[in-house]
Amino acid sequence: MAAKVSVSPTSLLNQIVVPGDVVLDLSNMNNQTIKLGSGLLQDNDAISAMRAGKLSYSKPNKYWLESSHKRYIPRPDDHVLGIVVDSRADNFWVDIKGPQLALLPVLAFEGGTRRNIPKFEVGTLLYLRVVKTNIGMNPELSCTEASGKAALFGPLRDGFMFETSTGLSRMLLNSPTRPVIEALGKKLSFEIAVGLNGRVWVNATAPRIVIIVANAIMNSESLSGTQQRIMVEKLLAIISD
Amino acid sequence: MAAKPGAATPTYSPKIVGRSRLPIFKDSDLDWSRPDGRGFHQCRPALLQTGAVSSASGSAYAEFGNTKVIVSVFGPRESKKAMVYSDVGRLNCNVSYTNFASPTLGQGTDHKEYSSMLHKALEGVIMMETFPKTTVDVFALVLESGGSDLSVLISCASLALADAGIMMYDLITAVSVSCIGKSLMIDPVTEEEGCEDGSFMMTCMPSRYEITQLTITGEWTTPNINEAMQLCLDASSKLGEIMRDCLKQSASASDE
Repeated sequence: MAAKVSVSPTSLLNQIVVPGDVVLDLSNMNNQTIKLGSGLLQDNDAISAMRAGKLSYSKPNKYWLESSHKRYIPRPDDHVLGIVVDSRADNFWVDIKGPQLALLPVLAFEGGTRRNIPKFEVGTLLYLRVVKTNIGMNPELSCTEASGKAALFGPLRDGFMFETSTGLSRMLLNSPTRPVIEALGKKLSFEIAVGLNGRVWVNATAPRIVIIVANAIMNSESLSGTQQRIMVEKLLAIISD
Repeated sequence: MAAKPGAATPTYSPKIVGRSRLPIFKDSDLDWSRPDGRGFHQCRPALLQTGAVSSASGSAYAEFGNTKVIVSVFGPRESKKAMVYSDVGRLNCNVSYTNFASPTLGQGTDHKEYSSMLHKALEGVIMMETFPKTTVDVFALVLESGGSDLSVLISCASLALADAGIMMYDLITAVSVSCIGKSLMIDPVTEEEGCEDGSFMMTCMPSRYEITQLTITGEWTTPNINEAMQLCLDASSKLGEIMRDCLKQSASASDE
């Protein structure tokens, strides 16, 4: 009943592992430095999985677990969609679907000064960047890039926001573009903002386009690339009739 | 339809029909047979499923014979109470029974003892330091009580925590054994629990070969305890494989 230790570091790559699985045996890897990402833990000479997910690897030496969950764990430089839940003198409290509410300082905007403090009502949807995620502290957000420019960040007006799993939102942001977005983009014009926290905002000229795009994205999570294209074709055929 | 002040409040009770029924266990040890026809060292068929509750961070449904439970995990989320700062997370467990869980009507209540035991079993496996200042809530509901409720709850809760993405050292499996006379019966049903001389429940991490909880009640001899422990360890490893397969299926479905 003891844990089965993988002999080679490649045996479990791109395989689904669950908590307790030993994914790497360090005793077989001499003079190698490896970097462990989320979901993995070193226990003496063994690297074990701490949650269920796909073991991923990137050259030269990075290992991590790719997993999909409803809850979001904030990481620095993640782009997220947040909802303002409270407004204070020095900062806004923003819900980013994480363990705690996040802080958005009133000066964390392009050219932010005491004179031109933005006013956001409770419920405003914002596209934000995670700046700090220190243990034991609320995450800190910003509406600017590292350079101080606003770029894409800021309030998202109109449109429709829906929630997905963190895995799907990561897939939507991956390169190359996810087939469902590519197929929809060829036939329909719409705006989309995807947060790594599992929130997606869609805006278009007509409400039916928004509904089709939202439904297509939500249904695409468990479909392969070909299945996604077929689904989009069927949806577009329905609205063209 | 209120009753008159002087009149007695009308009540009704189920009609108890006298049924002739053979005793579960006969006098001779050799002639004993289990109510569901299983062998003494045979577990009930297990059905496990994740993602049963859409609103929860993670959830699982387990069906072991007639025992049916559903566990929902919420969080990590900020604690509602204004508690003192803690650099490790908090685990909050709650076990409750539905009104229709057992044949006795209207027994749907919170089970404080089971809640405490579930907490004890889970706290050793969860990496509490990964969610400081926050709470993970585990709500377990017994839909139908068919025996070995706590062991099914613990296994199901472990699966729900893994589904929620809570960092864990390993999955945990729980198996219970009843001692009736000289015989040991694994995974007892309600009737067997009602006439047992002693009960033994072990919760362990199959991959790490570590025990997180051990509960022994009643009369036990040392050889019986050793045998029960071996039975539980063997059953735990097999149950662990079933749980792993269930998790892998749900993870691969969302990964395609």
